[in-house]
Amino acid sequence: MSPRAQRRPGELAFAVALLAFSLWLFAEAYKISGFSGLSTPGVFPMLASGLMVASSLAILVKVLAMGPAGGGLRRFLADITPLRQAVMVALVFAYIAAMPYLGFLAASGLFLFASIQFLWRRSVVLTALVSLAGLAAIHVVFTLVFQVVLPKGTLLRGLI
Amino acid sequence: MLETLGYLTLSWLDPWLLMLTAAGTLAGIYVGAIPGLSVTMAVSILISFTFKWSVNDALALIAGVFVGGVYGGSRTAILLNIPGAPSAIATALDGYPMAKRGEAGEAVGLTTVMSVFGGFVGIAALALFAPLLADFALMFTSRDYLLLALIGILLVGTLSGESFAKGVFAGALGVLIGMVGLDPMTAEGRFTFDTITLMGGIPYVVAMIGFFGVAEAFVQLHRLDLPAVKQKIDRVIPRLADLRRYFRVALRASGIGTVIGALPGTGGDIAALLAYDDAKRATKNPQVPFGEGAREGLVAPEAANNAAVGGAFVPMLTLGIPGDAVTAVIIGALFIHGLKPGPLLLVETPHLFWFTVGNLALANVFLLIFGLTGIRIFTKIVECPKAVLIPLIIILSAVGSYAIQNNPIDIYWMLLFGVFGYFLKVYGFQVGPVILGVILGPMMDANYRRAMIGARNDPATFLWDFLSHPISCVLLIAFLALLISQTPLPRLARAALRRRRPPDREAG
Repeated sequence: MSPRAQRRPGELAFAVALLAFSLWLFAEAYKISGFSGLSTPGVFPMLASGLMVASSLAILVKVLAMGPAGGGLRRFLADITPLRQAVMVALVFAYIAAMPYLGFLAASGLFLFASIQFLWRRSVVLTALVSLAGLAAIHVVFTLVFQVVLPKGTLLRGLI
Repeated sequence: MLETLGYLTLSWLDPWLLMLTAAGTLAGIYVGAIPGLSVTMAVSILISFTFKWSVNDALALIAGVFVGGVYGGSRTAILLNIPGAPSAIATALDGYPMAKRGEAGEAVGLTTVMSVFGGFVGIAALALFAPLLADFALMFTSRDYLLLALIGILLVGTLSGESFAKGVFAGALGVLIGMVGLDPMTAEGRFTFDTITLMGGIPYVVAMIGFFGVAEAFVQLHRLDLPAVKQKIDRVIPRLADLRRYFRVALRASGIGTVIGALPGTGGDIAALLAYDDAKRATKNPQVPFGEGAREGLVAPEAANNAAVGGAFVPMLTLGIPGDAVTAVIIGALFIHGLKPGPLLLVETPHLFWFTVGNLALANVFLLIFGLTGIRIFTKIVECPKAVLIPLIIILSAVGSYAIQNNPIDIYWMLLFGVFGYFLKVYGFQVGPVILGVILGPMMDANYRRAMIGARNDPATFLWDFLSHPISCVLLIAFLALLISQTPLPRLARAALRRRRPPDREAG
C-alpha cells in the first residue's frame, strides 16, 4: 500500500488524542500493581497499554510526515462529522435517554419516525407508515420470536 | 459411532432445528447481500437475543446466518457491483462484467453451486481435522495458547487496515477492554475506577454490537444512495458442463479457503482474494480474460470464502481461538451458553461438535435451495433504502445491548463504542482486531500469568521454556517470523529510497 501524501481532516488531532488516551490507560494500568511482580494482575494491562502507547506514537509520527489536510474545520465538518452523523448521534442519544420514561415502543417509534424523516426526506405520511411497519415488525420479532424483555417506561406506568 | 451419527443428523431430523437453520440461512443471504449489514453485525446482535435459548437452537440459527451471509455478499457483487460483504470483493471483479453481458442469472447460479461445493469441502476438513487437532492440542501449555492468541491478533492486525501500527493499536485496545473488571485470579479491580458498574467488566457483546453494528451504521450514512441497477436474470441453474469444467478451480480454491480459514485470525475475505489471485495465475487460457467476466474469477473466490467457514471453526472449536471476526463473536456466544471452546470441548461435549458439523452441512443444503430460487424478489428487497435501514439497525443494536443484562447503561456503552468505532473506521483502523482482542485478551492474560507462575516468576526460566519445548519453539518461530515481516525496517528502507526520488504526491 502506498502511503497517502495528505492527512485526512482531523487526523492529526485524532492521533494526538489516541496517544493521550493510551498514556492515560498506561498510567491507570500502572496503578493496578506497578512493577511489584511478573505475574501480578497489572502486568498484562501494562503490556497492552504500553503497546498502545508505542503504536499510537508510530501512528502519530506517520501522520506528522504527511502534508496537512487543508480546508480547516470546514472540511473536517464536511468529511468526518457531517451534519448527518452529528444529528444521528444526537438522535440516538435522545432515544436512549427517553427510553426509561417513554418505554421501548414509544421511544423507538419516535426515533424511527424522526430519523427516517431526517434521512429520507419523503412525505410525513409515508415516513409514518414506514416507521409503523418497522415498529410492528420489531415488536413481533422481539416479543414473539426472541422473547426479549424490553424496557418499559415510567411515564405511562409500563402500559406500553 | 451411532451416537455421533445421531448428533450429526440432529438438525436434519428435528423440524424445529431444521426450520431455524433454514430461517438463519435465508436471513443470512439477505444480511450478507445488503451492503451495510454484515454477518459480524448480525451475529453479534443475534447472540444477545438468543442467549436464553437452548444452545442447539441458538447455534443452528447462528450457523445458518454465517453460511448464508458469507455467500450473500456475492449476490450484490454480481448484480450491483457492490460487494455486500468484504469476502465478496473479488467476486465483483468478474461477476459484475458477467451481469453486464446479460449473464447475471448464470453467474448467480454458478456462484451458488460452487459456494456450496466450497462449503462442503470446508466442513469435511472440519470433521476430519478438528478431532486430530484437538488431540494434539491437549499437549499445548499456557505458553502455546499465549503464542497462538498473539499470532491470531497479529494476523488480523497485519492483514486488515492501513498499517501494522493501527492493527496493533486496535488489538491492544481490545485486550484492555477485555481486562476491565475484577481480575479473575486475584479479584482485584482493573480499570474499575472504584465504581460498581465497571466491576463486572464491559460486556463484550455490547462492544461487538457497538463496533460492528452502530459504528458501521454511522459509516454507512456517508453512502446513503445506492445506485439502482436493474439486471436481466434468465437461466439460473448452471450447466453441468460448466460445473465439470470449473471443478478443478473450485477444488483448489476450496483448499486455499479451508487453510486460510483455519489460520487463527484470517477469514473468508482474505481467502477469497488469495484464491482469486491463485486462479488468475493457474488459468493459462481463460475463455474470457480475468476482470472482464471470467467464470474462473467468479468460482475461485466464492468456493474459497465458503470453504473458509468450515476452516474457521477448526481453531475455534479445538483451541478456543477464533479463525476470524465472526468466529470471535461466535466464541462469545459459546461462552454465554457456558461452553468452553478448546481441546476439551470435543472430549466433554462431543455432541456439540458433531451437531455443529451436521448443522453447517444442513445450512449449505439450504444455501443451494435458496441460492437458486427467489432471485427476482431478492433484487427488490436489496433496494430497500438505507435511510430506513440504518435507523432499524440502530434499534436492533439498542435492544441487543439491553437484552444481555437488562441494563440501560449498556445502551450508552453501545453508543460510546459506536462513535469511537466510527472515528477509528474513518481514520483507517479496522475494528476486527479490537473484537479479537476483547475475546482473546482475558485468555492471554491468564495464560501468560500461569506460564510465568510456572516459571516461578523468573524471566530467564520463562524465556527458556519457550525455546526448550518443541511446540512452543515452533510457535515462537512462527510468531517472530510474522512480526519481523511487519517491522518498520523494510518499510523505512523503502522510504529512504523513495526520498531520493522526487516525491510522488498522487500516491495513495
